[in-house]
Amino acid sequence: MFATTQWSVVLTAGRGDIPQAQDALEKLCRTYWYPLYAYVRRRGYSPADAEDLTQEFFAWLLERKWLGKADPQRGRFRSFLLTSISNFLANEWDKARTQKRGGGKVISLERDEAENRLTWQPLSYCIPESSFTPEQSFEWRWALTLLDQVMGRLSVEFEQEGKKELFDALKPCLLGESSTQPYATLATKLGMTEGAIKVTVHRLRQRYRQLLREEIAGTVAAPEEVEEELRYLFAVLTRR
Amino acid sequence: MEAHPVCPICGTPIVPGAPQGMCPECLLRAGFETKSGHKSTDGKSASVPMAAEEVATFFPQLEIMELAGQGGMGAVYKVREREPNRIAALKFLFPEKQASPQFAERFEREARMLAALTHPHIVTVYDFGKVNKRCYLLMEYVDGLTLRQLFRARKLSPRETLEIVPRLCEALQYAHEQGVVHRDIKPENILLDKNGRVKVADFGIAKMLNLPGNLTLTGSMDVVGTPLYMAPEQIENPQVVDCRADIYSLGVVFYEMLTGELPLGKFLPPSQKIEIDPRLDEVVIHALEKEPDRRYQQAGQMKTDVETILQTMRQREESRARTGPAPAARTARPAALVAEAQAAAARVALPPKPARRRSQASRSFGITIAIAAGVIVVFTVLLLAAFHLLRSK
Repeated sequence: MFATTQWSVVLTAGRGDIPQAQDALEKLCRTYWYPLYAYVRRRGYSPADAEDLTQEFFAWLLERKWLGKADPQRGRFRSFLLTSISNFLANEWDKARTQKRGGGKVISLERDEAENRLTWQPLSYCIPESSFTPEQSFEWRWALTLLDQVMGRLSVEFEQEGKKELFDALKPCLLGESSTQPYATLATKLGMTEGAIKVTVHRLRQRYRQLLREEIAGTVAAPEEVEEELRYLFAVLTRR
Repeated sequence: MEAHPVCPICGTPIVPGAPQGMCPECLLRAGFETKSGHKSTDGKSASVPMAAEEVATFFPQLEIMELAGQGGMGAVYKVREREPNRIAALKFLFPEKQASPQFAERFEREARMLAALTHPHIVTVYDFGKVNKRCYLLMEYVDGLTLRQLFRARKLSPRETLEIVPRLCEALQYAHEQGVVHRDIKPENILLDKNGRVKVADFGIAKMLNLPGNLTLTGSMDVVGTPLYMAPEQIENPQVVDCRADIYSLGVVFYEMLTGELPLGKFLPPSQKIEIDPRLDEVVIHALEKEPDRRYQQAGQMKTDVETILQTMRQREESRARTGPAPAARTARPAALVAEAQAAAARVALPPKPARRRSQASRSFGITIAIAAGVIVVFTVLLLAAFHLLRSK
């Protein structure tokens, strides 16, 4: 089902100058910058420093010098990132600062938006993140980002078929019929038969599950790890 | 005060940046199911319900009609008992929720207490036990709506709220007298059948499953509840709560019924949000006192206060009916009512900003009902008719 994954492309390419590997890594960084940023902020850095640091980290990452080091089995991109950023903060950050690479923005970080999301804590006892360690915070944001990617892709697919409204109306059905309007009501509203709604929802769920696994596959070293990673992410989200 | 959208499935607040405004936890859970929607992908993750056919193999005495709902703790099936011949709700807990050695003992003890509760406003437990290492409860099947679902169909009028709350107080008072604290009063656990009867579901289930205690366990996957309705002392020290914790939760539900919002942070008294008898502020705020000692000490006291206000309201309506044209009662014209309920349902079906939608229908483990598609409108109408009957009495 998933012959290769983005992360496995990066790993197998090693330090060789393979454009696909670089593209894959850049794409992964663009997608998952926010959990890293949140992690750095949770470690106590100011927003400006956190942005700077995240950019430097990506620059370091994209140089791929780390790939030359022994261990070919790097595991999952998620845990690799967390270990790497932690080491980077401990060892590389000062070096990077003194060298003043001057790489500027490696990827686009929407800092204001990131800050908004970080500071939203109206119910500190309801939102688990406030009691999380920086590492747990990273994982929690990671899971959210991954789901956001999946839902974004699903939404785009419907939009491309001119069915944005249908997607918006039916997406709550992903969680089950009773989380939304009864199918009969939806059918009336959308001018479809109840049977057609059921079929569409069924396909929506199937596609969602497929995209979810594809997205996860992009971040693990081998396809066999997808289900285990899925379970791990579930545990992350239910963590209190 | 800003209203926080909550997940219709698990009731937790939805964080900004949540994928498409949906609860990430429930969304990911939905990702586990296979095409049939009933089995885990590998059998290891048991937090997905069994197919009805599979459940049937464990219960020869029951006809498993359908999967009626699921939540973090288990699944609910609509079943038909062969002897006596009646419809019931079967709650089947996920096996990993029963891993602790103390669980079996606690389950047995609590289930026995629940089965002893007999009250018109409490969902009856018929039977309980264990099959295939899974605990189950066989309960009264309530054909109707949860309060959460009713919220979604439309906002309740203050009058309707005042008809419901005293019944909830009665149920709580009775259970508290039997030594049972509910511990998880929330709109998902309050049911209204199609005759307008109020029923509280899942008494003591939270204790049975040791839920509040687990809220603080890092990495625990046992959490299904929401602290939104919990009393402050229950959040801080869940092991020692008494009946006053239920009274606080009822206060939260009461506030939400009146205003459509949760009393979070520094909240306004209900009368500053809607037009109601200002005496209701006192009742609600008294129930919501942070200190248990300052709160109502008994649900029965709260019932008396609410009923006094309800009585005044009834008298005013009667005198208005005598002196002027009849009030534009919602039940006066059934056809108009149907139109109203349908319109309300349609408004929710396609909200302008689905990502920020606040009150939605809910399905949770605690719900013992199954609702056929489309009946929401009919039930709402029936419910209103029931209120009308009550009023005319």
